[in-house]
Amino acid sequence: MVEVVGDAATVAVLALATMVPITLAALGEIVSEKAGIVNIGLEGIMLLAAWVAAASYLEAGVGYIGAYVLGAIVGLALGLIHGVLSVYLKGDQIVMGIGLNIFAVGATILGTYALWGVFSNSPSFDPMPGLIVVSGVKISPLVPATIALGIVLWAFLQKTVIGLRLRACGEDPRSAEAMGVNVLLYQVMAAGFSGLTAGLAGAYLSIDYQGVFAKNMTAGRGFIALANVAFSGWDPLLALLGGYLFGFFQALAISLNIALQEEALSSIINTIPYLATLAAVAVVARRRVRIPRWIGRPYIKE
Amino acid sequence: MSKGSRKLVEMRGIVKVYPDGVKALDKVDFDLAEGEVHALLGENGAGKTTLMRILYGEIRPTSGMIIVRGKEARWRGPWDAIKAGIAMVYQNFRLVDALTVRENLLIYLSSLGVSRSEAESRIMSVAEDLGLSIPMEARVEDLPMGVRQRVEIVKALSGGARVLILDEPTSNLTPLEAEGLFRLIEKLKKRGVGIVYITHKLREVMSIADRVTVLRKGRVVGRSVRGDRFFSEEKLASLMVGEVLAPQRSLGEPGKDEVLRVESLTVESGEGVIRVRDVSFKVVAGEIVGVAGVAGNGQEELVEAIIGVRKPSKGSVYVNGVRVRSARDFYRAGGGFIPGDRVRALAHELSVADNAAFIYYTGSRAILMTPSRVKQLFHRLVREFGLKAMSPSTPVGRLSGGNQQKVLVGSEFLRGFRVLVAVNPTQGLDVATTAFVRDLIVKASREGVGVLLVSTDLDEVLELSHRILVMSGGRVVGELRRGEASPERVGVLMGGS
Repeated sequence: MVEVVGDAATVAVLALATMVPITLAALGEIVSEKAGIVNIGLEGIMLLAAWVAAASYLEAGVGYIGAYVLGAIVGLALGLIHGVLSVYLKGDQIVMGIGLNIFAVGATILGTYALWGVFSNSPSFDPMPGLIVVSGVKISPLVPATIALGIVLWAFLQKTVIGLRLRACGEDPRSAEAMGVNVLLYQVMAAGFSGLTAGLAGAYLSIDYQGVFAKNMTAGRGFIALANVAFSGWDPLLALLGGYLFGFFQALAISLNIALQEEALSSIINTIPYLATLAAVAVVARRRVRIPRWIGRPYIKE
Repeated sequence: MSKGSRKLVEMRGIVKVYPDGVKALDKVDFDLAEGEVHALLGENGAGKTTLMRILYGEIRPTSGMIIVRGKEARWRGPWDAIKAGIAMVYQNFRLVDALTVRENLLIYLSSLGVSRSEAESRIMSVAEDLGLSIPMEARVEDLPMGVRQRVEIVKALSGGARVLILDEPTSNLTPLEAEGLFRLIEKLKKRGVGIVYITHKLREVMSIADRVTVLRKGRVVGRSVRGDRFFSEEKLASLMVGEVLAPQRSLGEPGKDEVLRVESLTVESGEGVIRVRDVSFKVVAGEIVGVAGVAGNGQEELVEAIIGVRKPSKGSVYVNGVRVRSARDFYRAGGGFIPGDRVRALAHELSVADNAAFIYYTGSRAILMTPSRVKQLFHRLVREFGLKAMSPSTPVGRLSGGNQQKVLVGSEFLRGFRVLVAVNPTQGLDVATTAFVRDLIVKASREGVGVLLVSTDLDEVLELSHRILVMSGGRVVGELRRGEASPERVGVLMGGS
């Protein structure tokens, strides 16, 4: 009995670590979608940033902080490119996101081979030391940072005038423009921010959570983040909850695999987080959430 | 212009030539003084809105001069105009529907550099001064059009506007809301606000304008001040249209065959509220039956039940003797429909040809479209209905309102029907197009079509109907024959006695 309780506690703590990438990327994407720009390339941005962070840590000796910064910069740059293409060149946001995802898979495999001579992964290294260790799980500084960011973004969107102006862009850019909002600028900035958080999420995966870059290591987390955006109903506070929930199922799968040590079962167990995502989104689809009305469509001035 | 009042703005010799060579405005002069309502009257496409968008900084004039309080102004964009105290209230309001009133006002005022607390107090003082109650916490989308318009006006004034441009301000309002607007305009005048009132409705000019400038095809064709000999509906109408319209219309003789029968129809809204209560009537071939009433008294639900898109909770509808249970039944039995809302009825991003084909093939059993027929459809719209469109592939959204209506009405007429249900068929149209559409309806009835004309425009119902059913609170509260119907009698019934 004590053991079960202990295991449950471990899973609950481990979930704090697994929630970070899903939640961070979702938080940025909420801001971006509130401004009207969808980036389904989160997965790709995370993967590229994870690679850049690992590579710069291993090969350039920039340290953990340096690797985080570089990962974030890559994310920001990709987010801004996506923003500029969507906003000024009126590109199809979905197609560009898909392109980014496909590109990231190929580019990181090639990069891995170029640097380390294998296609599968980088050499392992010690992940960034945690702040504190609870139940054998290290708590990265990004855990409290992510939670704080969720609260700050909620306040930003709901309580500040700038947040209000940003929301107006995703609802009705024409009216927003008529009320003096520089819609295109807001949208590009928001898209850049979404890239930035996805970049941080990716860097977290390689240098903080795992201590390695592995092929396809994001494993759909970018898409789970998108599911979390919908689950939250574009509310950063609920995205924290959703992120923890999705993180919990990932942690559960990890713990079950360790506990059972059953090779045959592990593939099935690994599907738990994805099935949970599916279930959560299906439930949300029945709830009526307020989707930003001008989402994913380029705003073309008269 | 009332004597001694200062000029707020003056426009001199405004010319606007578009890149494609179309001359939208030709040496137009316009001015506005404090505390007056200056109506800008003209048909659709006469250049009224273009002229005001120039004043508002949205469009740059090709040549000409704008003078604001004695100084020449050069706008780089609307915000220069807004900062100089000129605000425009568009026909389709520029408010973010999903946000609350407060949030909308905050966005606008913050763009003007007004702090949050200052914004609150400004809004409150403007609303209080005008005696308006503004539901600050309500989402814009939940508000009636009349209230949204008040919000727009409060928005403009709290931003410091002294010149208010109202673009067709009553087009989305119920008659009651329009009354409220007129009272508000009176109050604004007293406070020295100058109002430009863009309209094509003569009656509104007569009731609130102090001065009127008439535009036709980009030129000023007349000016008049309240009290002078041109200030009459007839004079202004002839200036505006350039020809005298036949005032009275003779209708054909209705036949004998019953083509539409509605039997004790009761319709509920989605929430279970009864919107149509036990309504029965019939329409015979060649007869035009008008349905009059204030918008929202069950007409919309009645029409939806007749054309088969809303299931009645009781009663039945027959078209040419066929019971209507679905829209398909309605169209296949020979029904025709002109919806009241062309914004929703047309796919704005799709081409004229696609929209026309979509309407034309309604209820058709055809599997494939015939390209030659679609092309022919477009040419017939141009030839027979006077549609002005560059090509069949022009998106419908690019057309003017009048031309959009021609696509909607024309395609349905080309499809053909034996019973026509028309809802506000001339809403938002200019005088010439209105007359054209009304002619079409009368002509169809002469050829044996039975018409149910549902319109909130009382003049239209009176002009076109053999019989008038008056709806109030979901019931038919009265039936008047042509000859015995007058605006007063119908009006009394509409009020719900």
